[in-house]
Amino acid sequence: MNIYIQGTGCVSPQATATEGPFPAAVIPWQGARLKNWDPDYKQWIDVKLIRRMGRVIKMGVASAKLSLQEAGIEKPEAIITGTAYGCLDDTGVFLTKMINQQEELLTPTAFIQSTHNTVAGQIALMLGCHGYNNTFVHKGFSFENALLDSIMILREGRTGSILAGAMDELTDHSFKILSRFDLYKKEPVTQDSLLRSNTHGTVAGEGAASFVLGTEKGAHTKAKLSGLTTLYRPAGKAEIMADIEAFLAAHSCNREEISLIITGRNGDVAGDEWYEHVENNLLPEIPVACFKHLCGEYPTASAFAMWMACRILAEQAVPASAMFKGNVKGKQQKILIYNHHKQTHHSLILLSAC
Amino acid sequence: MENLMAALKAQIVEQLNLQEVKPEDIGDDQPLFKDGLGLDSIDALEIIVLLQQHYGIRIANPEQGPEIFYSVRTIAEFITAHQNKQ
Repeated sequence: MNIYIQGTGCVSPQATATEGPFPAAVIPWQGARLKNWDPDYKQWIDVKLIRRMGRVIKMGVASAKLSLQEAGIEKPEAIITGTAYGCLDDTGVFLTKMINQQEELLTPTAFIQSTHNTVAGQIALMLGCHGYNNTFVHKGFSFENALLDSIMILREGRTGSILAGAMDELTDHSFKILSRFDLYKKEPVTQDSLLRSNTHGTVAGEGAASFVLGTEKGAHTKAKLSGLTTLYRPAGKAEIMADIEAFLAAHSCNREEISLIITGRNGDVAGDEWYEHVENNLLPEIPVACFKHLCGEYPTASAFAMWMACRILAEQAVPASAMFKGNVKGKQQKILIYNHHKQTHHSLILLSAC
Repeated sequence: MENLMAALKAQIVEQLNLQEVKPEDIGDDQPLFKDGLGLDSIDALEIIVLLQQHYGIRIANPEQGPEIFYSVRTIAEFITAHQNKQ
């Protein structure tokens, strides 16, 4: 059974929250933090509801609405999301109030909006969707596991259309805390210098991307989701190479068939070695595109990569701002996404043109 | 009473994060829930907390809720009555 992507939506540090082609220009940034480019959320969310929503909820709902619009459907039969950090800002508000007010007189809104499954729940409430609703909170595999659940449900024939997505936000507090782990660059970097900076650390990011998945190919279909796999803490580069080979073989894909590989290169010299090794030793002739100079590093960033790959396949155009090495030729048939989060959570997604 | 109602309107707008509403837009006798200002049951909980925080008032009988929370004036009258009792 084939799984098709019928619609996509993305809210990110770039001007992606629109239907149509990939944004021509990159929104410039500098420093170690990429902030979301917030669209006017009122175009998708009623003002009476928006007042209770934290930023990540608005991002998630907007990406969901965009993907449904693109797919031409009003209500999916199931909603599955992935998030590592959940509604971090509202959690902070709730915990701060709890401390300041000595655990008394706590208002309900911050508590209600602080749970990890709030985004999926809020989308379901807005759409009146009473079907399967689940949220995966699995660090760097949160999006992949939401996708895996969607694939399994579709293959079981339990439902015809699923809204699957992932979202993570960065707050001032979380950026400060994550910075203490020495994750981010100390020296100034920009969108143009990050990927070849060849130093320690990366830049923090955030975003939300949603996809409408189904088993029937139709007029709105953007791409085919051909394969997905995850690998936790591979022993070394030989293991990830073997895993990629096995993954491609399992999906009957020769290396020559891959038009483009999108890697999660983020400018961190240690982390980028994995991509460099795969690009040079396993897929040396394949052009490489990157995405973390556009959205930053966060646990569900692979959802941005999948959104980008869908756009490339649907439009048959690779944005110049995403290209890292090589030259794309001819029709974009198959795109392999190889991403890892902090070198521990490795994932592979294979998409095909329809 | 006028000052109390003005303060209540500002507190309601802030506590409920009514982004499109200014305190002066709320009528003294305008219904707060359903067709009036459009507040819901979560807002009712927020207003209960607001009364506790700002005026030290606990709603002892929940059945009084609809009557007390009908409008800014009814809330102000309830607060005044409570303060006069003390």
